[in-house]
Amino acid sequence: MSTLTQEQIKVLEQARQRLVQLTRSLGSLITSLHSSDPLPPWSSLQSQASIISNNLLSVSEQLSEQRDLFTSLVAYPSPEYPSRTQAPTLEQLLRTKLDPRVEDWVARGRAAGTEGGLSQSTIPSPSRLVEAESADHKLSEAELAQLWEWAPLEANQEARRRNWGGNFTLEERESGIQNVVTGLRRQLEDDLGSEEEESEGEGEEEEEMDIVGVHRKSVGGGLEFDIAVRHPHPVQPFVPLDDILKYMTTGRMQ
Amino acid sequence: MHEVLLFASVPVHQHHELLQQLAGLTAMQPRHCLERRLIFKAYRKPGLVAGRTGASQDIQSGDLQRLNKMLNGSMYYTQVVGPVSEKDFGSATDSDTQMDGTDETPEAPRYDYERQPWKLEFRDIPEAGTRSAVTSRQMSSSTLPSGDIMPTMSAWGYSFVTEHVVEGDLFIHNDITLFLQRVLHYPAGQEPSQPRQQMPALKDMTPLEKSGSYVLQASITVQDGSNQETMKTASQHLFGLREQLKSAVRLEQADRLSLDTRAK
Repeated sequence: MSTLTQEQIKVLEQARQRLVQLTRSLGSLITSLHSSDPLPPWSSLQSQASIISNNLLSVSEQLSEQRDLFTSLVAYPSPEYPSRTQAPTLEQLLRTKLDPRVEDWVARGRAAGTEGGLSQSTIPSPSRLVEAESADHKLSEAELAQLWEWAPLEANQEARRRNWGGNFTLEERESGIQNVVTGLRRQLEDDLGSEEEESEGEGEEEEEMDIVGVHRKSVGGGLEFDIAVRHPHPVQPFVPLDDILKYMTTGRMQ
Repeated sequence: MHEVLLFASVPVHQHHELLQQLAGLTAMQPRHCLERRLIFKAYRKPGLVAGRTGASQDIQSGDLQRLNKMLNGSMYYTQVVGPVSEKDFGSATDSDTQMDGTDETPEAPRYDYERQPWKLEFRDIPEAGTRSAVTSRQMSSSTLPSGDIMPTMSAWGYSFVTEHVVEGDLFIHNDITLFLQRVLHYPAGQEPSQPRQQMPALKDMTPLEKSGSYVLQASITVQDGSNQETMKTASQHLFGLREQLKSAVRLEQADRLSLDTRAK
């Protein structure tokens, strides 16, 4: 066992720098999630996530490049090490096995990795449960409960994003409704007309759209929208309201 | 008493849907109403002296004071309202056909003018400069003797102007009265100088507004109009309703002069 060369120390130092960066960006993401209410905008979360992902990449690059060195290194405390004050760090450094928590993470990461690139999605844990289900078809009670807890909320959120009406989504319609797997035996009617009709009736569809009236708000700026009743023969009153009231009060129109 | 009001014009094609919306909002079925409305105009009787003046020891009660003010102040249009039912209409033509027929249908309800109940409805001109976005006015209603109202009214110094029929549906929503109404004209003919004794068939009545549109009136009656707090609460309630109905109808304050009941 020889002492480390200048070169090797530099490599270690580099690895340390990158890990420090990674922990910093993770820390800042955690604080921003904890402290800001409402949650930070998705764009900022996105950029933080991409920073973290870059950090991870550089760390993993460094680790794999210097794999030979790192696996052969052995840590031991030198006499000068302040073991009284820095005991926990020392213990961490002298571990031969991973922390059980970390072991779990690693196991999960490995499992996700062996399932192939397919499951490389940024998903909340319940979706991972779904994957687990596809892998071994067994869910624990707790996982099932978690899944049930998650599903209605998520379904509701998904539902709110859509404009309801009809049996098919716009995406499904665009990609052709015959390809949709509904799981139903009976044939669903496409209430907006079949595909062929739709292609020729593009213009008609526009006419059928709801009429939405826009007018300036009486108080303050901005616009107001009226969801006007769609009626084939709208008849606007000829006599202004004031005149009707006038007649009702005095029996005369002027 | 005071009332605070908001009005909206409702095109005829929207009428049915609005009825359903209001039924949903108020959780009640519409109460269909038909009312005869006779409009009377006050005139100053010659020789009538305006009130007792200078008798300071003669303490008048609040009601009497108000009455004196009403009688001796400026002259007003006032309405005499009588509820009628659909059965009351068309009795004139019925009796005509029954004349030459047999008298086997005596149970057919006839419109009996002698038993028509009446109500006097006084409405003041809406208050000016209230800075509030609702119409508020003083009002007063009282029951009148049934039957021929002309002698009573002329004795009080009112002359008959004209009459019309209001048909509509009534809803109650908390403290708000919603009346979706329209004015019906009697069939064209000579304008009588006194209320009709017979009612024409309902289908012969023509809406004042030719397209058949309706007027939605939302009102709250306030017992003590001088209490700013209750008036404010009532207005707030109306504004709340206006927000609720915003996507269906636009309730607005009426033009003050269009509700001017002063007789010039």
